[in-house]
Amino acid sequence: MVRMDQNDHAAIQAVLSGDKEMYGTLVVRHSASLFRVAFRITGNEADAEDVVQEAFLRGYRKLDGFESRSDFSTWIYRIAVRCALDRVKRRNLDRAGTVGEESDPEQDEVQVADGCAGPDRLLLSGEIGAMQQAAMRSLTAIERTAFVLRHIEDRSGEEIAAALGIQPNAAKQAVFRAVQKLRLRLAPLRVSI
Amino acid sequence: MKHLNEEELIEYFYSKGKSAAAIERHLEACAECAKACAALKSDLKEMEFAEAPVRDDAYGERVWRSIAPLLPAYQARKRSWLRGGVWRGLSYAAACALLVICAFFAGRRWEHRQASTSAGITPAPAPQHAAPPPQRVVVVVLSDHLDRSERLLVELKHADADSEEMVSPLRDEARSLLAANRICRQNARQDDDTALATALDRLDHLLAELADEPGSLDAAKLARLQSEMSANGLLFEVRVLRSRIPDRQQAGIARSNGGTI
Repeated sequence: MVRMDQNDHAAIQAVLSGDKEMYGTLVVRHSASLFRVAFRITGNEADAEDVVQEAFLRGYRKLDGFESRSDFSTWIYRIAVRCALDRVKRRNLDRAGTVGEESDPEQDEVQVADGCAGPDRLLLSGEIGAMQQAAMRSLTAIERTAFVLRHIEDRSGEEIAAALGIQPNAAKQAVFRAVQKLRLRLAPLRVSI
Repeated sequence: MKHLNEEELIEYFYSKGKSAAAIERHLEACAECAKACAALKSDLKEMEFAEAPVRDDAYGERVWRSIAPLLPAYQARKRSWLRGGVWRGLSYAAACALLVICAFFAGRRWEHRQASTSAGITPAPAPQHAAPPPQRVVVVVLSDHLDRSERLLVELKHADADSEEMVSPLRDEARSLLAANRICRQNARQDDDTALATALDRLDHLLAELADEPGSLDAAKLARLQSEMSANGLLFEVRVLRSRIPDRQQAGIARSNGGTI
């Protein structure tokens, strides 16, 4: 890990000295991890790939402001989270502007509460996953991102706050609200099971 | 017994928190909270999200190729005064301060040496350089003294012993000039100005005789003084000395500037 950090710092120095190609080594080294978190936040493969590219572009432009005592992987990770968050927000705005089946919470709830769809059938058809995705979509962008970072990425409250650019207590509250909403949304499924 | 709320249970689930031990004790004692906690754990563990699709090893390369054309190369980093680090900035400031201090002391030393060199070239004694203004004051006093002396001698030359109104002011003026004449004579001797010192010597003799006369000048005494004055050409000599005053002033200025006479 230490060796990798040193390599990252050496590459950054080379980039800032005019060797643009050295940024390629950083991109190759960190692309996969950024893609994973971007996918978890956006829930969409195409969006996740766009987020990765956008994160590295933003990172390059801000590279001369990078503190040498920081860890590049953490720094670029936060940028990627912000990019993903922005994308989810934009998508939610776009969706709010149109009337669609997936965006309608009432419709989601109706689907979950459909008595014709028994638990076995839901399980078999993979609709549990669809319900969870629908429940996730009901969260705000901040709640969704905070929950992903906490529940899936196993990040601490401080790390989530830093990545989202909010206070630690606000990050904790975002996680609480997300969990409460998800449990509420998925309660019918629990009862059925 | 106060039950745990959902927030406390969620925090306990994720981070175990600072109060984890207290919560665990409460959960052991409170069946209701233990049930709520178990339900929360069950719900959260059942949330299975799709794994992110695996990217192949060439994924990073592809990302780089897609963004590389959009990135302008950085110019060689120009580190500003502040950006180069506080220590670098401070070292520059210290170097500048040291340079200024060295220049100051070098200037003072050079000035001191220049003054010493000048003093070495001038044959005149240093104290005269150190105090040029008194010299110039003496010159001015001498000029005034010779002027007044000349007038006195002219009046003496044409004085009439029968006129008390004319003779009495001569005596008073002679007494007044006597002290100034002695100072000028002393100064002339210090300056090794023999001609001036000799003339002032003779003037001193005449002034002393004129000043010391207790009563009014009698005709014989006046005639003797007039004769004496004419014999040694004192009036002419005083006039000549007066004419030399501008030269003396120039010489005095040159001396005060470190030149030679």
